[in-house]
Amino acid sequence: MPKTQTPPTPPVIVLKDLRKRFGLGDVEHYAIDGIDLTIQKGEFIAIMGPSGCGKTTLLNILGLLDSNIEGEYELEQRPVASLSSRRQARIRSQQIGFIFQSFNLITRLSVIENVALPLIYKGVSQTARLKQASTILHNFHLGEREYYMPYQLSGGQTQRVAIARALVNDPSIILADEPTGNLDSHASHIIMEELSDLHKRGNTIIMVTHNPHLTTYASRVITMLDGKIDTDTQAPAKKTPANSKKPLGKKRKARKKKEVKS
Amino acid sequence: MRFLTINHIQNAKQSLKSNRMRSTLTMLGIAIGVASITAILALSGGAGKIVGDQVDDLGGNIAVIRPGSTTEAGVQDLTQFPSAQHFAASTLTENDLNTIQSIQNVKAVTPLMILSGAVKASTQTSVSTSIVASSAELATISGLEIQDGTFLDPDLNPYTAVIGPQLSVDIYGTEQSIGKTVTIRGQAFTVIGILKRDNTPINYNGVDFDNSVIIGREAGRALNGGSLQIQQINVQSESISELDQVIIDINKALLKNHLGESDFSVLSGEQIAQPTNRLFSIIAGTTTAIAAISLLVGGIGIMNIMLVSVAERTREIGIRKALGASNGDIVSQFLIESLSLSIGGGIGGYIVGYVLAFGISTFLPFDPLFNWEIAAVAAVVSLVIGTLFGLYPAIRAAQKDPIDALRQYD
Repeated sequence: MPKTQTPPTPPVIVLKDLRKRFGLGDVEHYAIDGIDLTIQKGEFIAIMGPSGCGKTTLLNILGLLDSNIEGEYELEQRPVASLSSRRQARIRSQQIGFIFQSFNLITRLSVIENVALPLIYKGVSQTARLKQASTILHNFHLGEREYYMPYQLSGGQTQRVAIARALVNDPSIILADEPTGNLDSHASHIIMEELSDLHKRGNTIIMVTHNPHLTTYASRVITMLDGKIDTDTQAPAKKTPANSKKPLGKKRKARKKKEVKS
Repeated sequence: MRFLTINHIQNAKQSLKSNRMRSTLTMLGIAIGVASITAILALSGGAGKIVGDQVDDLGGNIAVIRPGSTTEAGVQDLTQFPSAQHFAASTLTENDLNTIQSIQNVKAVTPLMILSGAVKASTQTSVSTSIVASSAELATISGLEIQDGTFLDPDLNPYTAVIGPQLSVDIYGTEQSIGKTVTIRGQAFTVIGILKRDNTPINYNGVDFDNSVIIGREAGRALNGGSLQIQQINVQSESISELDQVIIDINKALLKNHLGESDFSVLSGEQIAQPTNRLFSIIAGTTTAIAAISLLVGGIGIMNIMLVSVAERTREIGIRKALGASNGDIVSQFLIESLSLSIGGGIGGYIVGYVLAFGISTFLPFDPLFNWEIAAVAAVVSLVIGTLFGLYPAIRAAQKDPIDALRQYD
């Protein structure tokens, strides 16, 4: 159980009436149309919804890639609107880890260089960078693939490298945009196991997915429709994170055991 | 503070390596420009230095008096053909010559009167050359050596001449021409000496002695219708330490002779070489300007290739931004890449330029000049080109929207 639950810690992310507009004049429409959302530390949130409902846009906003927004976004109690682009880059570098559907490794860099990439912008020296990257790759059982090029890996391995890269900076928030979208079910399963393992270690994970099966890994499921939150398994008013996590975690473990048996 | 420069350099190296052909061609553009500038500066510097070296070789105790004031001229004066003053009536007189002779610590004085005209051997057609009317001291002051016969001697018949070896070959077909007759402006002279081949067509006397005829001062006066036209007076002091005092004394004495009008100039050391240097610096300046055009083209090549590179790597830029690169990081990444192109080209061009300069100098009477200024020019030019033409692509890269950039598939 995440230890941060007992004292009422401030939420990691607070969204108040968040709106994101695309287009101008006649073609103007809101991809995000008034979202209020509070995310606590240590939550594993799955965001579901049909294509075009604004899931990815929301994730980009949460990841500070898109700062042209209306409404309020407070990240760890700092309003994002007041941060300079340099500060935002610093936060992306140190507090946020991105996992993409299309992996987004840099193809001309080797696996270890890709994993070490975020550390560059943190200002870590080269030796320390490679050491850290190597450690994390070993944790992901990719130790013997360090000097492979991305195209020499399978999809699942590539995504594990991408996750390793997202985690190398020890970020507090992990944003995953359909991390299993390009993978077969076996590889998806491995990736989801990795993510839920991260969740158990106290990381906040926000994952966008199309696949309803994957929501079982999450502690909280949000469905979106037309830029609004449609359903939320855990409305802010009656949140009992400690209770809701346990059964889900247990269920998952139970399921896992079953799978192992069968 | 984060020090990402080393990373950017490693990154640039890596990315340039992966496009080896493209990078090499782009560097070549810069290399050609820098090579031509280096070669031009090295050769013109070598040519400019040659006169100064000659003065040093002669012991450094030489001063030269020329007509006209030294008030340094502006650019419009630079464009004038410098020897135009040779045709104007000189302000130096025989009186000046005698005055200088009587100054303390002056070891030797010789006037230089350069007449234009043709010389011919008895049977041949005439050859146009420099006719120098001077005195016996010219040999010591200018370090002229005789390979055969004797130099001018005031005790001999005034109608005797010393000729340069090349002129001798030109008009007699041999260097052995002692005792032969040479006709200068219709007056016959007997050749009493042949100079040793010197191979210094550029020198502070403004005369290529290999290819000229030297006659006595009195003969010169006769040829010039009875008046002495002194274009230059060469003075040698007893030693280097006395040269400064001698120059001051000469200045004082001549100023008195010229009734307070400073229409002459006393030059020593590097100043003597200046008129030649100025000519060379004009030539070098013009050719460098032309070479700069090739640099401009090379710079445009860099900008072009960097724009392609930025477009190709849009997705990489998006990834880097998502992983925490600030706009400044992206700018410096691409700027360092373009700088490595231009500096690489600059280093290559500097080396090729000197190879070129040494190649050309085998046909010239002087060696290319090595100094830090030329290296600095090459370095500064490369840096400026790399920055100037790399900045725009780098800024464009940094301004890419990370979301759009990530959406681009490669």
